[in-house]
Amino acid sequence: MSSVNFANFLQLLADGIFNGTAYALIGVGFSLILSVSGRFHIAYAMTYTLAAYVAAWMGTAYHVPFWPALLLGALAAALLGALMERLVYLPLSLRALSRGADPLLVMFVASLGLTVIVRNGIALAALQQSSVNIQGFNNQGINWGPITVTTLNLTTFFTTWGLIFALWAVLNLTNLGRMIRAVRANWEMSLCIGIDPSLIFVMVFVIGSFFSGVAGVFQATFASATPDLGLPPFFYALVVAFLAGLTSGPIRIALVAVALGVVEAMSTLLLPTQFTPLVVFAILFFYVALRPVNFKDLRRRFSPKPQVAAG
Amino acid sequence: MEHLQLTLSYVNQVLIFAVFALSLNLLQGYAGQVSVAPAAFGAVGGYTLGYLFLNDPSSLNTPLGALLLVIIGSVGAAIVGALVAFPALRLTTEWLILLTLAVQTIIVSLVQTVSKLGGTYGLQNISGLKIFGRELDQPADMFPFFLAMTLIVFAVCWRMGESPYGRVLRGIREDEIACRSLGKNVFLFKTIAFGMTAGMAGLAGTMQVINNTVASPPLFDFSQSSTIVSMVVVGGAGNLLGSFVGVAVLVLMQPLFEHVLNFGADAAALWRLIAFGVVLIVVLMVRPAGLLPDKVTRRLGKTLAKMKDRPAEGSDFVPHPDLQEMHAIEEHLSTEDKVRVMPRALAIKETSGNGPATSAVNIGDVVLKVVGLSKRFGGIVAAENLDMELRRGTITALVGPNGAGKTTVFNLLTGAIRPDAGEVYLGGEDIVGLTPDRIAKRGMARSFQAVRIFPRLSVLENVALGVQHQPGESFAQLFGNVPRTMKVEKEVRERSREWLTFVGMADFADQPAGGLAFGQQKLVALARVLATEAEVLLLDEPASGIDHQWVDVMLGLIEQIGQQGRTVCIVEHNLHVVERLADHTYFMELGRITAQGSFVELTTDKRLAEAYFGTA
Repeated sequence: MSSVNFANFLQLLADGIFNGTAYALIGVGFSLILSVSGRFHIAYAMTYTLAAYVAAWMGTAYHVPFWPALLLGALAAALLGALMERLVYLPLSLRALSRGADPLLVMFVASLGLTVIVRNGIALAALQQSSVNIQGFNNQGINWGPITVTTLNLTTFFTTWGLIFALWAVLNLTNLGRMIRAVRANWEMSLCIGIDPSLIFVMVFVIGSFFSGVAGVFQATFASATPDLGLPPFFYALVVAFLAGLTSGPIRIALVAVALGVVEAMSTLLLPTQFTPLVVFAILFFYVALRPVNFKDLRRRFSPKPQVAAG
Repeated sequence: MEHLQLTLSYVNQVLIFAVFALSLNLLQGYAGQVSVAPAAFGAVGGYTLGYLFLNDPSSLNTPLGALLLVIIGSVGAAIVGALVAFPALRLTTEWLILLTLAVQTIIVSLVQTVSKLGGTYGLQNISGLKIFGRELDQPADMFPFFLAMTLIVFAVCWRMGESPYGRVLRGIREDEIACRSLGKNVFLFKTIAFGMTAGMAGLAGTMQVINNTVASPPLFDFSQSSTIVSMVVVGGAGNLLGSFVGVAVLVLMQPLFEHVLNFGADAAALWRLIAFGVVLIVVLMVRPAGLLPDKVTRRLGKTLAKMKDRPAEGSDFVPHPDLQEMHAIEEHLSTEDKVRVMPRALAIKETSGNGPATSAVNIGDVVLKVVGLSKRFGGIVAAENLDMELRRGTITALVGPNGAGKTTVFNLLTGAIRPDAGEVYLGGEDIVGLTPDRIAKRGMARSFQAVRIFPRLSVLENVALGVQHQPGESFAQLFGNVPRTMKVEKEVRERSREWLTFVGMADFADQPAGGLAFGQQKLVALARVLATEAEVLLLDEPASGIDHQWVDVMLGLIEQIGQQGRTVCIVEHNLHVVERLADHTYFMELGRITAQGSFVELTTDKRLAEAYFGTA
């Protein structure tokens, strides 16, 4: 538990904002995929992990500098995302539709399968190394009065918000954005105005997976790449996406992510540090548990009511 | 000997995961409740056993030995499961995934965080456990105990799944609203299902800890849960034997890669998971219902395949021979004769004690009285100050333009929506505030415009779900009084068949309801609501969307129901239907009843004729 003073508070606030920013990118990417294509894409965690490994291998094996390695990692993630959609989700969803099965559940289970395949495929490829590091980023601490930040914090922050504003602009100002929003609203109707939803699905997988890839490379730069790198942050992305509302715009989702990061960081004022993940999931639990409760109805149910026989 | 121990260690793994998979299959395959937290409930059981044993090894000094700890662990998990059921009760699939994911993460983070539970390393050295004086050290020692536990869990799951109880669970899976409308307490069924299956997962967790001599977070983390979910899907959701197949496929891949293909233990462990992921996706593509699908799904697949070659309903569709014959018979029968071909139960109200107001059966008595019923949705008035009466042995129609609030009235009467104000008296008792299932049990049942049939249940099972007071639907009686539940189940099936004969669908009894034409589904839905033997029947557009030949059959049936002293209320757009059936008609506009009387009185009303009926 941390002692409470103003400097400490400011440091936690800064930590919270930076942590939250890290959740923002994957929160936005995941909700874009889920809300447009309807795929409950748990394997999203794996595009995150793959990008980290590709960037790390580029650095160690070919001495590729940091930024090109990050770009290659994120592109590999985008490619993997697009392949998952094209080779697995799309054919499965068409089958599920024709057989009356619950497509959401089918996609979810398929996604579990993809997660298992990619996670263990990466582990197999990296069997001799327990973890790999990203090369070429010179991370330094900067003191801003009472608080300390790192160059990695700032790079992550500006890259993330740059990408989120870019996505906002694409969604709101371009023809592609209009098509994505149309498919999100009603993919069947979008067919009638000449949009091919399957192409849009691939597009959102490319964009969302690219985002996760960037986030994954930054995370692996901070720590290092392991086969299980992606799953914990993915769970945060899930919380962010559902708390913000799946069809919300990217900026709103990112702000919710930052708020969650701040709450998580502040919780260390009250609880031992190791309990912070619990705080996030407790928020999710209560949010989900209480969401469908109609309090007005509940009050009526417990209010006394005279039982008088008719006429 | 070593070879035997190695073989048995794999067999034990199969048994442990079989218990996990069976419990999840009951919850997911039968009750349709998705959970990604089976391993977390296993953690509750396993850690409870480990903690109690390490803190007080003397707890083993009873003859039961470790079995006592196994029981305590399982009960603990069952309690946690039942608690999770409360928030889970009203959630759709995606929210249920999210909620159980939160539960999975919270439980594993908790055991990982609490230092008394060993943190990241977990509880170590849980060895030297005894059951009935026998040590559980080697795989061969554990095997008989694990086998016994697996068989017990299989028997419990089988009893719960393949019985009237399981029929309700599968009904809930298919359509919760329809289940409640038939008097099933969905809340209770789901809570018991969550609790029981969590308890069984807790048992599997204790087995896992005994087998590994440690209780550690990786044994119960998300990847374990997702593996269990995958095993159920590969094996076939809704088929308990399939779960064994799913488990065996995954577990036995380890020796295949390690000993047969000689990959080395580490690589083999990864390869088997990759291979299983591939198997999972291939199974989803090729056999979406799993390697061993449940029997109704299997039949439904065949029926749907056949339907592709069948002409669409409405073109040159010919009713089933049964119906043609029945129609022909009906035309030559007097009313008294017709009564004789009807099921005994249709006239049952005169003899049975079920339902309200059965003591004095007088045609024309007010059975349902509605006073000042109102409901607003924000600024929209769905119902305003409605007063209505339904009389025994009569058919009342509720007519009006689209959006007038007719179906809302049904929803208000049956408790699906709570009114803002007003009273509804059924047999003299105010039923406002009661849940739909309790209202159905009190003698008012409804049908739905969109039929809400249970597609992956057989036609007979659809109707059997309507039958009330089945001991097999009570958890206590299911296990406490097996002979009685079996005897009554036989009667339930007989009675359901009678209702199907009444609507002319007996020949389809064993077919999956989802494979029927829409008109046939409507007849099955009618049989289902009749099977509730409710005094008051609310029928929502019984004749809409069906071929004209079926309309005639349907109307004939409804007339007979009314003649037998049942109280019927229909919502209907088709004025010919209203003209033929209704003794009394209410006209609704914008949530208000603006006119009432006989059909002729309403259609001759000048304003209504001009605005709605058209001048004839």
